[in-house]
Amino acid sequence: MQSPTLDIDAEARPLGAAATRVAGAALLLGLLAVGGSVALGPRVGWSVFFRSYLLNYSYFLSLALGALFFVMLQHVVRAGWSVSVRRVAELVAGTLPWLAVLFLPLLVPVLKHWPDVYPWTDPTVVQHDPRLEAKAVYLNVPFFVIRCAVYFIVWSWLALASLRESLRQDDTEDVRHTQRAERRSAVGLVLFGLTVTFFAIDALMSLHPHWYSTIWGVYFFAGSAVGFYALLILLLVVLRRAGRLTRAVSSEHFHDLGKLAFGFVVFWAYVAFSQYLLIWYANLPEETVWYRPRQSDRWWVAVSLLLLVGHFVVPLLALMSRYPKRRPRMLAAAAAWLLAMHWLDMYYIVKPRPWLEAVNSAPIHATDALLLVGLGGLFFAAIFRPMARWSLLPRRDPRLVESLSYENV
Amino acid sequence: MDVVAYTSAVANGRRLAALLAEFSSPGALVTAAEQVRDAGYTHWDTHTPFPVHGIDAAMDIRRTRLPWVVVIGGTLGCVAGLLMQWWMNAASPEQFRWVPTFLQGYDFVISGKPTFSLPANIPVIFELTVLLAALATVIGMLAMNNLPRYHDALFGVPRFRRVTTDRFFLRIDAHDPRFDPQRTAEFLSGLGAVAIERVEAAQSPARWPAALVVTLVVLAGLALFPPLVAAKARLSKSPKPRIALIQDMDNQERYKAQQANPAFRDGRAMRVPPAGTLARGELRDDRHYYRGQVAEGWALTFPPQVRVDAALLARGQECFGIYCAPCHGLGGAGDGLVHQRALQRDTPGWVQPTSLHDPVARSRPVGHLFNTITNGIRSMPPYGDQIPPADRWAIVAYVRALQLSQDARLEDVPPERRAELR
Repeated sequence: MQSPTLDIDAEARPLGAAATRVAGAALLLGLLAVGGSVALGPRVGWSVFFRSYLLNYSYFLSLALGALFFVMLQHVVRAGWSVSVRRVAELVAGTLPWLAVLFLPLLVPVLKHWPDVYPWTDPTVVQHDPRLEAKAVYLNVPFFVIRCAVYFIVWSWLALASLRESLRQDDTEDVRHTQRAERRSAVGLVLFGLTVTFFAIDALMSLHPHWYSTIWGVYFFAGSAVGFYALLILLLVVLRRAGRLTRAVSSEHFHDLGKLAFGFVVFWAYVAFSQYLLIWYANLPEETVWYRPRQSDRWWVAVSLLLLVGHFVVPLLALMSRYPKRRPRMLAAAAAWLLAMHWLDMYYIVKPRPWLEAVNSAPIHATDALLLVGLGGLFFAAIFRPMARWSLLPRRDPRLVESLSYENV
Repeated sequence: MDVVAYTSAVANGRRLAALLAEFSSPGALVTAAEQVRDAGYTHWDTHTPFPVHGIDAAMDIRRTRLPWVVVIGGTLGCVAGLLMQWWMNAASPEQFRWVPTFLQGYDFVISGKPTFSLPANIPVIFELTVLLAALATVIGMLAMNNLPRYHDALFGVPRFRRVTTDRFFLRIDAHDPRFDPQRTAEFLSGLGAVAIERVEAAQSPARWPAALVVTLVVLAGLALFPPLVAAKARLSKSPKPRIALIQDMDNQERYKAQQANPAFRDGRAMRVPPAGTLARGELRDDRHYYRGQVAEGWALTFPPQVRVDAALLARGQECFGIYCAPCHGLGGAGDGLVHQRALQRDTPGWVQPTSLHDPVARSRPVGHLFNTITNGIRSMPPYGDQIPPADRWAIVAYVRALQLSQDARLEDVPPERRAELR
């Protein structure tokens, strides 16, 4: 039970200059690392550079998409418990317009028809491949660019609309903002499902354009949700260290976030295994081709097993009990582990080269790490900058009281 | 506040079981519960129309141990699922001959996967884990709550009916060490209860309600029907076709041999391999083993991969009994059951099957015998499609042994066993 003297405005007051400093440092570090990786570009080869870029870009994009999903879901189900953690999620989703800008470099290999990144962009490859010729109706450069534009417009609109509606409510105290957000989120979740599925197909599955898996979009989504819950837990722990949300976000909220992370870890494993089981069982060459490089090379076998253990078994056992979920420090350790595993998942998706195997066989490059730091810096700068000015929870949300007095029965 | 007299442990011949206090709001109940807890009572409970926040802490209820029951149930399901599939499909019946046949597994190769392959087992393991965890949850919850119960002393208090709508109750049992009818009643009325009631020991007999017994008996009787029907079907014989409620296995939607299939450009349902290709294992370029031929003509010896020993002869005898003896006879004299039946029916144009002991047959090289089994000769049909090459060679070896047995001299028998012939 919360004591009646809880001062919400003090709990949620903006971080001020501290946030500006953190965002500035992250921005500087990010720009330096991105600059360094661009300088390395000619050395490692530009196709390697862009695959590293795609790997880390997809990683941070998936975290923001997970946040967008979380915010809209809370509105649709009219959740009370999550109000005090929703603003931080809104700020993470608010990076989507910036991520739309960061997507633009990925159009270079597409428009330049480099087969080492997306083989279907190269007309000479397509010419000699009847299967790619048949898929060219969908997998062609102009349509790809149009689709991506649609995805980013939809995501940016949904993220900005949710964030601005919530911020406006801080001043107006008008319940109609909540009602509008609920209606928009219902439509938004449908759009979200479609756009995320097609984005996963376009950006990640088409790296190997012969291969197809109908559960691919769900796999990407499940990993995104795991990554986002881990990120949200870590951000909340950091904010509490900075003296914010110390009572507004209690062990009850961490407990629930831990439950959600646990649930989506199991969901991710369920989806990943569903995809694997059918392909393994049918044993058709055009389907097994995706797993072949991941199960024949020693390095990738090790990565696969690490994913199985690290992305499923370890968090399953670590988060099963109530005990660690109610202790922010233990939960934060599990969250950091999950964020690392989610990166490994994206690495496992993007890096192996079944196509044009001879071009480069090294499984990891310096640009992978540099761009992780680089894009990560820009991503966190975009999250922390608004914290300088804005309240860290929706302080006039009609369900805030319910969230503050929330208890797990 | 209608406090009645509670002082006597027995009134109207009924024993006092508990005191029941009624409250009008959940807040009042929580406050009262905190004071009852602080007063040191241990045998007491609260009853509400809906879950009340904070009541667990107010009553000092320790966390349930149910999760442990669930973990144990889930682990059992996981292990049982794994063991079951190992036993049913991977534990070869050969290794477990001591187990009764109807309990043995099958050792089937399915889709070319190993008989014990984890990916295929995981769905079943998962389902059993969830099933046993869920059953453990329900059964464990019921057991920990001492359920099911048919009756409770509280049902004898008319006021208590409102517990499912809008009233909140707190009860202190009479067997609590701190219980004293008079003082506990005063204590409860001091907590802001709107009413206090005397709960008398249940008069309900320890017998099961008659309606429940009848229902269970009827259900148990009905449950016997399916096993009885199954047992009857197993024990009785019938010339009628068996009943299949679901006909999917009898009438499968598929193409049969030689049917047309519009899905393919050449219109055939039976697919032929692309030109110039062979299925794995069908190369068969070993002429000696697959055709009985060597460079000089018919092979005079067995191919190197066939070892002529007692096991091969036993296998040959088995196959000969199945495929050859119906015409050629168990002894190979050309007097099998088919021949005898043909003579009985006076079949026109019937030619007696060749005796394997006539000089021509005896002089055939083993390669020729193998070729005869594979492709047939004169009116004998080919058996190459029915009998794998290894078994055909076994039959050849057995035919050679048969021929030897019909034309042996005393010197061919080992000296120590000649006495058996006298």
